[in-house]
Amino acid sequence: MAMGARLVGLMAAAALSAGGVALAQEETPSPPLEAADELAPPVDAGAEAAPAAAATDPWEGFNRKVFGFNDTVDKGFFVPAAKAYRATTPKAGRRGVRRFLANLGSPSVFINDVLQGNFGRAGKTLSRFAINSTIGAGGFADPAGQIGIESHNEDFGQTLAVWGVGSGPYLVLPLLGPSSPRDAFGALVGIGMQPLTYIRTPPATYARFSLAGANLLSARESALDPLAEIEANSLDYYSSLRSFATQARAREIRNGVDDYDALPDFEE
Amino acid sequence: MTFWPVAFRMSLAGAAAAAMIAPAYADQAAEQFIAGVLEESNAIFGDADASRRNAGVEALVDKYVDMDRVARFALGQYARQATPEQMAVYTPLFRRYATNVYQSTLANYSGQKLAVTGSIDRNERDFIVNSKVVDAKPGDQYANLVVSWRVYRTPEGVQKIVDAGAEGVWLAIEQQSTFKSIIANNGGGAKGIDALIADLKTKVGG
Repeated sequence: MAMGARLVGLMAAAALSAGGVALAQEETPSPPLEAADELAPPVDAGAEAAPAAAATDPWEGFNRKVFGFNDTVDKGFFVPAAKAYRATTPKAGRRGVRRFLANLGSPSVFINDVLQGNFGRAGKTLSRFAINSTIGAGGFADPAGQIGIESHNEDFGQTLAVWGVGSGPYLVLPLLGPSSPRDAFGALVGIGMQPLTYIRTPPATYARFSLAGANLLSARESALDPLAEIEANSLDYYSSLRSFATQARAREIRNGVDDYDALPDFEE
Repeated sequence: MTFWPVAFRMSLAGAAAAAMIAPAYADQAAEQFIAGVLEESNAIFGDADASRRNAGVEALVDKYVDMDRVARFALGQYARQATPEQMAVYTPLFRRYATNVYQSTLANYSGQKLAVTGSIDRNERDFIVNSKVVDAKPGDQYANLVVSWRVYRTPEGVQKIVDAGAEGVWLAIEQQSTFKSIIANNGGGAKGIDALIADLKTKVGG
Protein backbone atom coordinates (compact mmCIF):
# COMPACT_ATOMS: atom_id res chain seq x y z
CA MET A 1 0.00 0.00 0.00
CA ALA A 2 2.57 2.35 -1.16
CA MET A 3 0.25 5.27 -1.56
CA GLY A 4 -0.37 5.48 2.13
CA ALA A 5 3.15 4.52 2.93
CA ARG A 6 4.48 7.30 0.79
CA LEU A 7 2.11 9.84 2.17
CA VAL A 8 2.83 8.84 5.71
CA GLY A 9 6.41 9.19 4.67
CA LEU A 10 5.65 12.72 3.66
CA MET A 11 4.69 13.47 7.18
CA ALA A 12 7.77 11.76 8.49
CA ALA A 13 9.62 13.83 5.96
CA ALA A 14 8.10 16.97 7.24
CA ALA A 15 8.81 16.00 10.80
CA LEU A 16 12.31 15.05 9.85
CA SER A 17 13.22 18.13 7.98
CA ALA A 18 12.32 19.82 11.18
CA GLY A 19 14.80 17.54 12.88
CA GLY A 20 12.22 16.74 15.46
CA VAL A 21 11.26 20.36 15.80
CA ALA A 22 8.07 21.37 14.26
CA LEU A 23 6.78 22.54 11.03
CA ALA A 24 3.87 24.55 10.28
CA GLN A 25 2.16 27.68 10.77
CA GLU A 26 -1.47 27.01 11.30
CA GLU A 27 -3.31 27.85 14.45
CA THR A 28 -5.10 24.82 15.77
CA PRO A 29 -8.70 25.18 14.83
CA SER A 30 -8.39 27.50 11.89
CA PRO A 31 -8.56 26.15 8.34
CA PRO A 32 -5.44 25.66 6.26
CA LEU A 33 -4.34 28.85 4.57
CA GLU A 34 -5.10 27.35 1.22
CA ALA A 35 -8.67 27.08 2.37
CA ALA A 36 -8.72 30.65 3.48
CA ASP A 37 -7.88 32.15 0.15
CA GLU A 38 -9.93 29.67 -1.78
CA LEU A 39 -12.97 30.91 0.09
CA ALA A 40 -12.06 34.54 -0.37
CA PRO A 41 -14.20 36.42 -2.85
CA PRO A 42 -12.76 36.91 -6.32
CA VAL A 43 -10.62 39.99 -6.57
CA ASP A 44 -9.24 41.99 -9.41
CA ALA A 45 -6.47 40.32 -11.38
CA GLY A 46 -3.00 41.53 -10.61
CA ALA A 47 -4.09 43.51 -7.61
CA GLU A 48 -4.58 40.35 -5.63
CA ALA A 49 -1.62 38.24 -6.60
CA ALA A 50 0.92 39.74 -4.25
CA PRO A 51 -1.30 39.98 -1.16
CA ALA A 52 -2.46 36.38 -1.61
CA ALA A 53 1.12 35.16 -1.65
CA ALA A 54 2.10 37.39 1.23
CA ALA A 55 -0.72 36.07 3.37
CA THR A 56 0.48 32.51 2.91
CA ASP A 57 4.16 33.13 3.49
CA PRO A 58 5.16 36.73 4.27
CA TRP A 59 8.78 35.73 4.95
CA GLU A 60 9.10 33.78 1.72
CA GLY A 61 12.25 35.60 0.53
CA PHE A 62 14.13 34.88 3.75
CA ASN A 63 12.68 31.37 4.00
CA ARG A 64 13.79 30.45 0.51
CA LYS A 65 17.36 31.54 1.27
CA VAL A 66 17.47 29.40 4.40
CA PHE A 67 15.80 26.56 2.50
CA GLY A 68 18.51 26.75 -0.16
CA PHE A 69 21.20 26.59 2.49
CA ASN A 70 19.48 23.65 4.22
CA ASP A 71 19.11 21.83 0.92
CA THR A 72 22.82 22.20 0.21
CA VAL A 73 23.78 20.87 3.64
CA ASP A 74 21.17 18.11 3.31
CA LYS A 75 22.47 16.85 -0.04
CA GLY A 76 26.11 17.33 0.88
CA PHE A 77 25.97 15.76 4.31
CA PHE A 78 22.69 14.39 5.71
CA VAL A 79 21.59 12.44 2.62
CA PRO A 80 24.95 10.65 2.19
CA ALA A 81 25.07 9.96 5.94
CA ALA A 82 21.52 8.58 5.93
CA LYS A 83 22.27 6.43 2.89
CA ALA A 84 25.38 5.05 4.55
CA TYR A 85 23.32 4.30 7.67
CA ARG A 86 20.76 2.47 5.51
CA ALA A 87 23.42 0.54 3.63
CA THR A 88 25.17 -0.72 6.75
CA THR A 89 22.25 -1.65 8.99
CA PRO A 90 19.35 -4.14 8.72
CA LYS A 91 15.82 -2.81 8.37
CA ALA A 92 14.61 -4.39 11.61
CA GLY A 93 17.55 -2.86 13.42
CA ARG A 94 16.68 0.61 12.17
CA ARG A 95 13.08 0.13 13.24
CA GLY A 96 14.34 -0.84 16.69
CA VAL A 97 16.45 2.30 16.82
CA ARG A 98 13.46 4.45 15.85
CA ARG A 99 11.43 2.86 18.65
CA PHE A 100 14.26 3.23 21.14
CA LEU A 101 14.65 6.92 20.34
CA ALA A 102 10.89 7.47 20.48
CA ASN A 103 10.76 5.74 23.84
CA LEU A 104 13.46 8.06 25.19
CA GLY A 105 11.30 10.96 24.03
CA SER A 106 8.37 9.71 26.13
CA PRO A 107 9.01 11.89 29.20
CA SER A 108 8.69 15.01 27.07
CA VAL A 109 5.58 13.64 25.33
CA PHE A 110 4.10 12.83 28.75
CA ILE A 111 4.76 16.34 30.10
CA ASN A 112 3.05 17.86 27.06
CA ASP A 113 0.09 15.45 27.27
CA VAL A 114 -0.43 16.64 30.84
CA LEU A 115 0.11 20.31 30.00
CA GLN A 116 -2.60 19.95 27.36
CA GLY A 117 -4.92 18.47 29.96
CA ASN A 118 -5.11 15.25 27.97
CA PHE A 119 -4.87 12.68 30.73
CA GLY A 120 -6.05 9.82 28.56
CA ARG A 121 -3.12 10.31 26.24
CA ALA A 122 -0.80 10.93 29.18
CA GLY A 123 -1.86 7.53 30.54
CA LYS A 124 -1.10 5.93 27.19
CA THR A 125 2.33 7.52 27.07
CA LEU A 126 3.07 6.37 30.61
CA SER A 127 1.84 2.83 29.92
CA ARG A 128 3.91 2.62 26.76
CA PHE A 129 7.02 3.89 28.51
CA ALA A 130 6.60 1.40 31.37
CA ILE A 131 5.87 -1.57 29.12
CA ASN A 132 8.39 -0.90 26.37
CA SER A 133 11.24 0.07 28.71
CA THR A 134 10.90 -3.25 30.53
CA ILE A 135 9.56 -6.15 28.49
CA GLY A 136 10.21 -4.14 25.31
CA ALA A 137 13.96 -4.60 25.68
CA GLY A 138 14.61 -1.03 26.77
CA GLY A 139 12.41 0.39 24.04
CA PHE A 140 13.77 -1.43 20.99
CA ALA A 141 10.59 -3.50 20.73
CA ASP A 142 7.02 -2.26 20.90
CA PRO A 143 4.90 -4.76 22.89
CA ALA A 144 2.66 -1.87 23.98
CA GLY A 145 1.75 -1.16 20.35
CA GLN A 146 1.00 -4.85 19.81
CA ILE A 147 -1.64 -4.81 22.51
CA GLY A 148 -3.16 -1.69 20.99
CA ILE A 149 -1.60 1.16 22.97
CA GLU A 150 -0.45 3.18 20.01
CA SER A 151 2.29 5.76 20.08
CA HIS A 152 1.69 9.44 19.49
CA ASN A 153 3.80 12.54 19.48
CA GLU A 154 3.60 15.78 21.39
CA ASP A 155 5.92 18.71 21.77
CA PHE A 156 5.74 22.10 23.43
CA GLY A 157 4.87 23.84 20.17
CA GLN A 158 1.71 21.71 20.03
CA THR A 159 0.98 22.49 23.66
CA LEU A 160 1.22 26.21 22.93
CA ALA A 161 -1.15 25.70 20.00
CA VAL A 162 -3.65 23.92 22.25
CA TRP A 163 -3.32 26.81 24.69
CA GLY A 164 -4.38 29.12 21.88
CA VAL A 165 -1.03 30.58 20.84
CA GLY A 166 -1.01 31.35 17.12
CA SER A 167 1.83 29.92 15.08
CA GLY A 168 2.88 33.15 13.39
CA PRO A 169 4.10 33.00 9.80
CA TYR A 170 5.73 30.02 8.16
CA LEU A 171 9.40 30.01 9.10
CA VAL A 172 12.24 27.87 7.79
CA LEU A 173 14.93 27.41 10.43
CA PRO A 174 18.57 26.83 9.53
CA LEU A 175 19.30 23.07 9.67
CA LEU A 176 15.99 22.37 11.42
CA GLY A 177 13.69 23.14 8.50
CA PRO A 178 9.96 23.97 8.34
CA SER A 179 8.69 25.64 11.50
CA SER A 180 7.07 28.79 12.86
CA PRO A 181 8.00 31.30 15.55
CA ARG A 182 5.75 29.46 18.00
CA ASP A 183 7.18 26.05 17.20
CA ALA A 184 10.75 27.33 17.24
CA PHE A 185 10.14 28.63 20.74
CA GLY A 186 8.46 25.33 21.60
CA ALA A 187 11.54 23.45 20.44
CA LEU A 188 13.75 25.53 22.72
CA VAL A 189 11.52 24.83 25.71
CA GLY A 190 11.47 21.19 24.62
CA ILE A 191 15.19 20.91 25.33
CA GLY A 192 14.35 21.64 28.94
CA MET A 193 11.84 18.79 28.96
CA GLN A 194 14.49 16.17 28.29
CA PRO A 195 15.76 14.60 31.51
CA LEU A 196 19.32 14.36 30.18
CA THR A 197 19.49 18.15 30.01
CA TYR A 198 19.76 18.22 33.80
CA ILE A 199 22.54 15.70 34.22
CA ARG A 200 25.71 17.73 34.01
CA THR A 201 28.43 15.11 33.70
CA PRO A 202 30.69 14.45 30.72
CA PRO A 203 29.05 11.07 29.95
CA ALA A 204 25.62 12.73 29.99
CA THR A 205 26.82 15.47 27.66
CA TYR A 206 28.22 12.82 25.36
CA ALA A 207 24.93 10.92 25.48
CA ARG A 208 22.98 14.11 24.77
CA PHE A 209 24.91 14.91 21.62
CA SER A 210 24.92 11.28 20.48
CA LEU A 211 21.16 11.15 20.90
CA ALA A 212 20.64 14.36 18.96
CA GLY A 213 22.79 12.97 16.17
CA ALA A 214 21.02 9.61 16.23
CA ASN A 215 17.63 11.29 16.10
CA LEU A 216 18.64 13.33 13.05
CA LEU A 217 20.15 10.36 11.25
CA SER A 218 17.28 8.02 12.02
CA ALA A 219 14.68 10.58 10.96
CA ARG A 220 16.54 11.47 7.77
CA GLU A 221 16.88 7.81 6.85
CA SER A 222 13.13 7.17 7.08
CA ALA A 223 12.48 10.28 5.01
CA LEU A 224 14.96 9.46 2.22
CA ASP A 225 12.42 8.04 -0.24
CA PRO A 226 9.46 10.31 0.49
CA LEU A 227 11.52 13.49 0.28
CA ALA A 228 13.22 12.37 -2.92
CA GLU A 229 9.81 11.63 -4.36
CA ILE A 230 8.33 14.96 -3.33
CA GLU A 231 11.23 16.73 -4.96
CA ALA A 232 10.98 14.65 -8.13
CA ASN A 233 7.24 15.26 -8.48
CA SER A 234 7.21 18.89 -7.49
CA LEU A 235 7.16 21.96 -9.68
CA ASP A 236 8.56 23.91 -6.74
CA TYR A 237 10.14 21.85 -3.95
CA TYR A 238 10.00 24.75 -1.49
CA SER A 239 6.24 25.30 -1.92
CA SER A 240 5.41 21.59 -1.91
CA LEU A 241 7.26 20.99 1.34
CA ARG A 242 5.62 24.05 2.87
CA SER A 243 2.16 22.70 2.08
CA PHE A 244 2.84 19.12 3.19
CA ALA A 245 4.55 20.30 6.38
CA THR A 246 1.73 22.73 7.17
CA GLN A 247 -1.01 20.18 6.57
CA ALA A 248 0.75 17.49 8.59
CA ARG A 249 1.50 19.84 11.47
CA ALA A 250 -2.08 21.11 11.66
CA ARG A 251 -3.34 17.55 11.99
CA GLU A 252 -0.67 16.63 14.50
CA ILE A 253 -1.82 19.52 16.69
CA ARG A 254 -5.39 18.23 16.44
CA ASN A 255 -4.07 14.87 17.70
CA GLY A 256 -4.85 13.16 14.42
CA VAL A 257 -8.48 14.22 14.28
CA ASP A 258 -9.44 15.41 10.82
CA ASP A 259 -11.00 18.81 10.37
CA TYR A 260 -13.02 18.15 7.24
CA ASP A 261 -14.87 21.46 7.43
CA ALA A 262 -11.59 23.32 7.02
CA LEU A 263 -10.79 21.72 3.66
CA PRO A 264 -10.98 24.07 0.68
CA ASP A 265 -14.06 23.60 -1.49
CA PHE A 266 -14.20 22.29 -5.03
CA GLU A 267 -16.21 24.41 -7.40
CA GLU A 268 -19.56 23.30 -8.75
CA MET B 1 3.82 -1.05 39.78
CA THR B 2 0.25 -0.33 40.79
CA PHE B 3 0.07 2.61 38.39
CA TRP B 4 -0.12 0.23 35.44
CA PRO B 5 -3.79 -0.64 35.76
CA VAL B 6 -4.58 3.01 36.36
CA ALA B 7 -2.69 4.03 33.26
CA PHE B 8 -4.46 1.33 31.30
CA ARG B 9 -7.86 2.50 32.42
CA MET B 10 -6.94 6.06 31.60
CA SER B 11 -5.91 5.13 28.09
CA LEU B 12 -9.07 3.10 27.58
CA ALA B 13 -11.16 6.04 28.70
CA GLY B 14 -9.29 8.23 26.25
CA ALA B 15 -9.94 5.82 23.40
CA ALA B 16 -13.64 5.61 24.27
CA ALA B 17 -13.93 9.40 24.32
CA ALA B 18 -12.20 9.64 20.95
CA ALA B 19 -14.60 7.08 19.47
CA MET B 20 -17.61 9.02 20.69
CA ILE B 21 -16.65 12.32 19.12
CA ALA B 22 -15.89 10.76 15.72
CA PRO B 23 -18.44 12.06 13.20
CA ALA B 24 -20.80 9.45 11.85
CA TYR B 25 -22.42 10.96 8.80
CA ALA B 26 -22.10 8.18 6.30
CA ASP B 27 -22.90 8.27 2.63
CA GLN B 28 -23.69 4.86 1.23
CA ALA B 29 -23.33 5.70 -2.46
CA ALA B 30 -19.93 7.38 -2.10
CA GLU B 31 -18.66 4.46 -0.01
CA GLN B 32 -19.85 1.94 -2.59
CA PHE B 33 -18.20 3.96 -5.36
CA ILE B 34 -14.80 3.93 -3.60
CA ALA B 35 -15.18 0.27 -2.61
CA GLY B 36 -15.60 -0.51 -6.32
CA VAL B 37 -12.55 1.56 -7.28
CA LEU B 38 -10.43 -0.16 -4.61
CA GLU B 39 -11.63 -3.55 -5.79
CA GLU B 40 -10.61 -2.72 -9.35
CA SER B 41 -7.28 -1.28 -8.16
CA ASN B 42 -6.31 -4.44 -6.33
CA ALA B 43 -6.11 -6.38 -9.58
CA ILE B 44 -3.89 -3.74 -11.18
CA PHE B 45 -1.56 -3.46 -8.21
CA GLY B 46 -1.10 -7.20 -8.18
CA ASP B 47 0.74 -6.83 -11.50
CA ALA B 48 4.50 -7.02 -11.03
CA ASP B 49 5.27 -5.45 -14.41
CA ALA B 50 5.90 -1.71 -13.91
CA SER B 51 4.80 -0.51 -17.36
CA ARG B 52 1.58 -2.52 -17.29
CA ARG B 53 0.91 -1.23 -13.79
CA ASN B 54 1.48 2.38 -14.87
CA ALA B 55 -0.88 1.88 -17.79
CA GLY B 56 -3.41 0.41 -15.37
CA VAL B 57 -3.10 3.37 -13.00
CA GLU B 58 -3.55 5.78 -15.89
CA ALA B 59 -6.69 3.95 -17.02
CA LEU B 60 -8.05 4.07 -13.46
CA VAL B 61 -7.26 7.76 -13.15
CA ASP B 62 -8.93 8.53 -16.48
CA LYS B 63 -11.99 6.56 -15.49
CA TYR B 64 -12.46 7.69 -11.90
CA VAL B 65 -10.72 11.05 -11.35
CA ASP B 66 -12.47 14.25 -12.43
CA MET B 67 -9.33 15.83 -13.88
CA ASP B 68 -11.01 18.97 -15.23
CA ARG B 69 -12.34 19.80 -11.80
CA VAL B 70 -9.03 19.05 -10.07
CA ALA B 71 -7.18 21.11 -12.67
CA ARG B 72 -9.37 24.15 -11.93
CA PHE B 73 -9.07 23.57 -8.19
CA ALA B 74 -5.26 23.51 -8.43
CA LEU B 75 -5.32 27.06 -9.80
CA GLY B 76 -7.14 28.38 -6.74
CA GLN B 77 -8.54 31.87 -7.22
CA TYR B 78 -6.51 32.18 -10.45
CA ALA B 79 -8.89 29.78 -12.21
CA ARG B 80 -11.21 32.77 -12.67
CA GLN B 81 -8.46 34.76 -14.37
CA ALA B 82 -7.30 32.11 -16.82
CA THR B 83 -8.36 32.66 -20.43
CA PRO B 84 -10.12 29.84 -22.32
CA GLU B 85 -6.95 29.54 -24.45
CA GLN B 86 -4.81 29.11 -21.34
CA MET B 87 -7.20 26.52 -19.93
CA ALA B 88 -7.08 24.60 -23.21
CA VAL B 89 -3.29 24.28 -22.88
CA TYR B 90 -3.18 23.94 -19.11
CA THR B 91 -5.81 21.24 -18.55
CA PRO B 92 -4.20 18.44 -20.63
CA LEU B 93 -0.79 19.32 -19.15
CA PHE B 94 -2.25 19.10 -15.66
CA ARG B 95 -3.83 15.76 -16.46
CA ARG B 96 -0.46 14.39 -17.56
CA TYR B 97 1.29 15.84 -14.51
CA ALA B 98 -1.28 14.59 -11.98
CA THR B 99 -1.32 11.15 -13.59
CA ASN B 100 2.47 11.00 -13.24
CA VAL B 101 2.14 11.90 -9.57
CA TYR B 102 -0.42 9.13 -9.02
CA GLN B 103 1.80 6.66 -10.85
CA SER B 104 4.91 7.48 -8.90
CA THR B 105 3.02 7.61 -5.60
CA LEU B 106 1.63 4.14 -6.29
CA ALA B 107 4.86 2.76 -7.77
CA ASN B 108 6.02 0.93 -4.66
CA TYR B 109 2.63 -0.50 -3.83
CA SER B 110 3.40 -3.71 -2.08
CA GLY B 111 0.11 -5.52 -2.25
CA GLN B 112 -1.76 -4.69 0.96
CA LYS B 113 -5.45 -4.29 0.28
CA LEU B 114 -7.47 -1.26 1.29
CA ALA B 115 -11.04 -1.49 2.50
CA VAL B 116 -13.56 1.31 3.08
CA THR B 117 -14.03 2.13 6.76
CA GLY B 118 -16.50 5.01 6.63
CA SER B 119 -17.41 8.35 5.12
CA ILE B 120 -18.23 11.92 5.99
CA ASP B 121 -20.38 14.26 3.94
CA ARG B 122 -19.13 17.84 3.81
CA ASN B 123 -22.24 18.74 1.84
CA GLU B 124 -24.58 17.09 -0.65
CA ARG B 125 -21.88 17.08 -3.37
CA ASP B 126 -18.68 16.60 -1.45
CA PHE B 127 -17.71 13.46 0.47
CA ILE B 128 -14.67 12.04 2.20
CA VAL B 129 -14.42 8.25 2.10
CA ASN B 130 -11.82 6.72 4.41
CA SER B 131 -10.07 3.42 3.89
CA LYS B 132 -7.65 1.31 5.88
CA VAL B 133 -5.32 -1.59 5.24
CA VAL B 134 -7.10 -4.91 5.62
CA ASP B 135 -5.52 -7.47 7.97
CA ALA B 136 -2.96 -5.10 9.48
CA LYS B 137 -1.87 -6.35 12.89
CA PRO B 138 -1.86 -3.93 15.83
CA GLY B 139 1.55 -2.29 16.02
CA ASP B 140 2.11 -2.81 12.29
CA GLN B 141 3.31 0.38 10.61
CA TYR B 142 0.15 0.52 8.50
CA ALA B 143 -2.23 -0.55 11.26
CA ASN B 144 -3.63 2.92 11.82
CA LEU B 145 -2.96 4.42 8.44
CA VAL B 146 -6.03 6.11 7.02
CA VAL B 147 -6.07 6.68 3.27
CA SER B 148 -8.80 9.12 2.30
CA TRP B 149 -10.59 9.76 -0.96
CA ARG B 150 -12.47 12.91 -1.75
CA VAL B 151 -15.53 12.24 -3.90
CA TYR B 152 -17.45 14.90 -5.79
CA ARG B 153 -20.98 14.15 -6.93
CA THR B 154 -22.44 16.22 -9.76
CA PRO B 155 -26.08 17.35 -9.74
CA GLU B 156 -26.66 14.52 -12.23
CA GLY B 157 -25.39 12.06 -9.64
CA VAL B 158 -22.08 11.21 -11.32
CA GLN B 159 -19.39 10.46 -8.74
CA LYS B 160 -15.69 11.08 -9.34
CA ILE B 161 -12.56 11.26 -7.19
CA VAL B 162 -11.13 14.77 -6.81
CA ASP B 163 -8.40 14.27 -4.20
CA ALA B 164 -6.48 11.60 -2.33
CA GLY B 165 -4.69 11.86 0.96
CA ALA B 166 -3.20 9.95 3.85
CA GLU B 167 -3.39 10.95 7.47
CA GLY B 168 -4.98 14.27 6.61
CA VAL B 169 -2.35 15.31 4.06
CA TRP B 170 -3.92 15.90 0.65
CA LEU B 171 -2.32 15.87 -2.80
CA ALA B 172 -4.56 18.36 -4.66
CA ILE B 173 -4.32 20.81 -1.76
CA GLU B 174 -0.53 20.67 -2.06
CA GLN B 175 -0.81 21.17 -5.83
CA GLN B 176 -3.02 24.21 -5.33
CA SER B 177 -0.61 25.70 -2.81
CA THR B 178 2.39 25.16 -5.08
CA PHE B 179 0.67 26.39 -8.24
CA LYS B 180 -0.57 29.54 -6.54
CA SER B 181 2.97 30.25 -5.32
CA ILE B 182 4.38 29.83 -8.82
CA ILE B 183 1.71 32.09 -10.33
CA ALA B 184 2.13 34.76 -7.64
CA ASN B 185 5.93 34.67 -7.88
CA ASN B 186 5.74 35.23 -11.62
CA GLY B 187 3.65 38.36 -11.59
CA GLY B 188 0.23 36.81 -10.93
CA GLY B 189 -2.72 36.82 -13.32
CA ALA B 190 -2.32 35.78 -16.95
CA LYS B 191 1.46 36.23 -16.87
CA GLY B 192 1.80 33.98 -13.83
CA ILE B 193 -0.43 31.34 -15.38
CA ASP B 194 1.77 31.32 -18.49
CA ALA B 195 4.79 30.73 -16.24
CA LEU B 196 3.00 27.83 -14.54
CA ILE B 197 2.13 26.35 -17.94
CA ALA B 198 5.80 26.60 -18.96
CA ASP B 199 6.87 24.83 -15.74
CA LEU B 200 4.31 22.08 -16.29
CA LYS B 201 5.53 21.59 -19.85
CA THR B 202 9.10 21.18 -18.63
CA LYS B 203 8.00 18.75 -15.93
CA VAL B 204 5.98 16.42 -18.14
CA GLY B 205 8.37 16.83 -21.05
CA GLY B 206 5.62 18.16 -23.36
